[in-house]
Amino acid sequence: MSETSAPATFFDEHQRATVEAAMARIIPTDDTPGAREAGTVDFVDRYLSGIGYIYARPDGNGFERLEGRQADAWQQRVDLARSKYVAGIEELERLCHEEYRSNFVSLEESQQDAMLRRIERAGSPEAERAWKDTPAIAYGGPVEPALQQTNAEADLDFFNLLVTHTRQGFLSDPVYGGNRDQVGWQVIGFPGPANLAEVHSGRYSTLDYFAENHTHHSLEGNR
Amino acid sequence: MTIHRSPDRVDAVVIGAGASGAAAAKVLTENGLRVVALEKGPWRTKESFGGDELANVNRYNLWPDPILNPRTSRTSADAEAEVDLFCPVPQMVGGGTVHWQGWLPRFTPNDFRLASIAGGLPGTSLVDWPISYAELEPYYDRVEWAFGVSGQAGANRYEGPRTRGYPCPPMPQSRYAQKFHEGCEKLGWNSFPTPQAALSRPFNGRPATVVSAFAQQHGDPSGTRSSALNVFIPDAVATGRYELRPESYVRELVLDERGRIKAAVYEDADGVVHRQEADVFLLACGAVETARLMLMSTSGRFPNGLANSNDLVGRNVTFHEYSASVATFDDPIHAWAGGGYVSASSFEFYEHDANRDFVSGGHIAAAGVGIPLPINWGLPGKPTWGAEAKKVDREYFNHSMAVAMVLHDMPQHENRVDLDDTVRDAWGLPVARITLTPHENDLAQGRFLVDRCGEILEAAGGNDITKVYADRVTGNCSHQHGTARMGEDPESSVTDRNCRVHEVANLYVVDGSPFPTATGANPTLTIMANAWRVAELVVAAGARR
Repeated sequence: MSETSAPATFFDEHQRATVEAAMARIIPTDDTPGAREAGTVDFVDRYLSGIGYIYARPDGNGFERLEGRQADAWQQRVDLARSKYVAGIEELERLCHEEYRSNFVSLEESQQDAMLRRIERAGSPEAERAWKDTPAIAYGGPVEPALQQTNAEADLDFFNLLVTHTRQGFLSDPVYGGNRDQVGWQVIGFPGPANLAEVHSGRYSTLDYFAENHTHHSLEGNR
Repeated sequence: MTIHRSPDRVDAVVIGAGASGAAAAKVLTENGLRVVALEKGPWRTKESFGGDELANVNRYNLWPDPILNPRTSRTSADAEAEVDLFCPVPQMVGGGTVHWQGWLPRFTPNDFRLASIAGGLPGTSLVDWPISYAELEPYYDRVEWAFGVSGQAGANRYEGPRTRGYPCPPMPQSRYAQKFHEGCEKLGWNSFPTPQAALSRPFNGRPATVVSAFAQQHGDPSGTRSSALNVFIPDAVATGRYELRPESYVRELVLDERGRIKAAVYEDADGVVHRQEADVFLLACGAVETARLMLMSTSGRFPNGLANSNDLVGRNVTFHEYSASVATFDDPIHAWAGGGYVSASSFEFYEHDANRDFVSGGHIAAAGVGIPLPINWGLPGKPTWGAEAKKVDREYFNHSMAVAMVLHDMPQHENRVDLDDTVRDAWGLPVARITLTPHENDLAQGRFLVDRCGEILEAAGGNDITKVYADRVTGNCSHQHGTARMGEDPESSVTDRNCRVHEVANLYVVDGSPFPTATGANPTLTIMANAWRVAELVVAAGARR
């Protein structure tokens, strides 16, 4: 695929509108931009389009071409995520019609929240238990012990996948289609590198955000 | 069709090119041995790394892909094992040092004799090490100076004697390190700049390390961090005696008629199978994969796996566990700066204390909460989505930090690595299965340490302190030890004090597998120091052959 063609997509119009509306409840717009302004739906639509956008080249210039076992693994993973989205959206719509005789996108925000809460709790007995115990366990959805270094997407149900992808689309590098104009970073206050090339070249430094005194406090008496 | 090839015999084969394998290869080649390294993963260059959290953390750009390289885990021999990315380490040249931020404290002298000090602990297989701190100290020194470690000698009150200081002064003080020191000072606890695998100033022809936010869990596009990839591999290559073969997956070690290792059988990227012969073989795959390779190498002499007559290969595995207390501060901490791990540490609760109701203790240090962004990490009791979650993200990102602990989990006979009955990797080989239940000592020690972490935050002026207790061992440190423990008695250990396998005269283990205990400190400095020691012993043994 050429670099100049329109980004590949997966969703049909209805799926896209539903996902966009749901993501807008996961990171809502308030006095600062939310998932809608960051374009997180573009992020996930591109991810689900195939295996052409899995890894940006580290200098930000295009995407890696996957081959062999790695390509097979990613195709498998994307296929699984696609099936979860297709089935998950269908189920969400079924429940919305059952409850409100309406599509998800046409519901009031509070009704949308209630429906999302319902699929969140239905998705996993662990989530149900965790909900009773504490409101949640970890950012990003998966009911796992906090402070894990990795995030195994394959284990997530539709709702938690949606939460994870919303957070990824809000906070990952804009090269992946979300975090439009770095609005996600601005919301949390991350000054960030201008782009991947700035990190790749070694120019990007965060020393300005260290303590004014670079000598460790514990050693000051020894000087 | 499988094609067999037999490359030229060499002096030594090192299986794995991570921290230990690269350190050993450097020493062997610099002492004149011809070495072939067989590394399962790719040989990536700095140009292939970038500041991309999505790729590096979520999309297995550096972590093993669980579809291709799964492991399984379970809590007991009766339980069903589930596919799990348990204790992953990057599988590539440089290994874990490719994406670490490299906290490099030394073990303390008492770490090598904890069983004697604590008097043993029921339900564990706690033993003293067959070697002492004094024996290892010269090698700590060699690694620190060859590798380039930034730190302050004498600042850690609990550290053992040392030949000399660090080659570079401590890294600059981050705001989270400053808070940590201030909290410790209020409490009267010793704290020190975390010794780090980074250069605070140019050293040995290398420039000072770039202090990026994309550091912990990210590869280093600048090539300025101290890692096996940036230091020991180039040192070995420079000798002209090191042939590093990436994407060479060793499936089996085969024996000769005398019961010595004859060859390593490996598959290359094109599926061609090779038999590489050598005089001596060094295992450096990490404690999980080393045990797996030994258990996959069955023969008439060793039907239950190589050198496993006593059924100890894979047993007594330890993993540490990383957990923390987290707090917010009124003033900005910027705990993402430097990647969140240019830190300060304390060994105040590291040593065993008979007045406490558990054995041993662990390293405590300051850390960021994201890596660097809060895409993946979260806190108990905080919502995952909605307006409140967004508010938490905004409040926490610049104003929160963690004080974390490294849990010293106790070795237990029933905690083990073996081969899964059913799950195979993308090459058709059985995967490592982890069977593990934490000892009650692990949980008690973890609670104690996380409480102390919270006290440091509180003393430093932190608000809204969240304590995340470790209620199980998940392998989240990516530290692994103990699967081929060293000892004097062949009945109760796999290798001797020189890390030579008791039952196979030309086989050594140089990764964390021989460590009889995990200790409460980050292990890689000690793994590299021990690999250096063992490599010198291999050279000396060769000279006598």
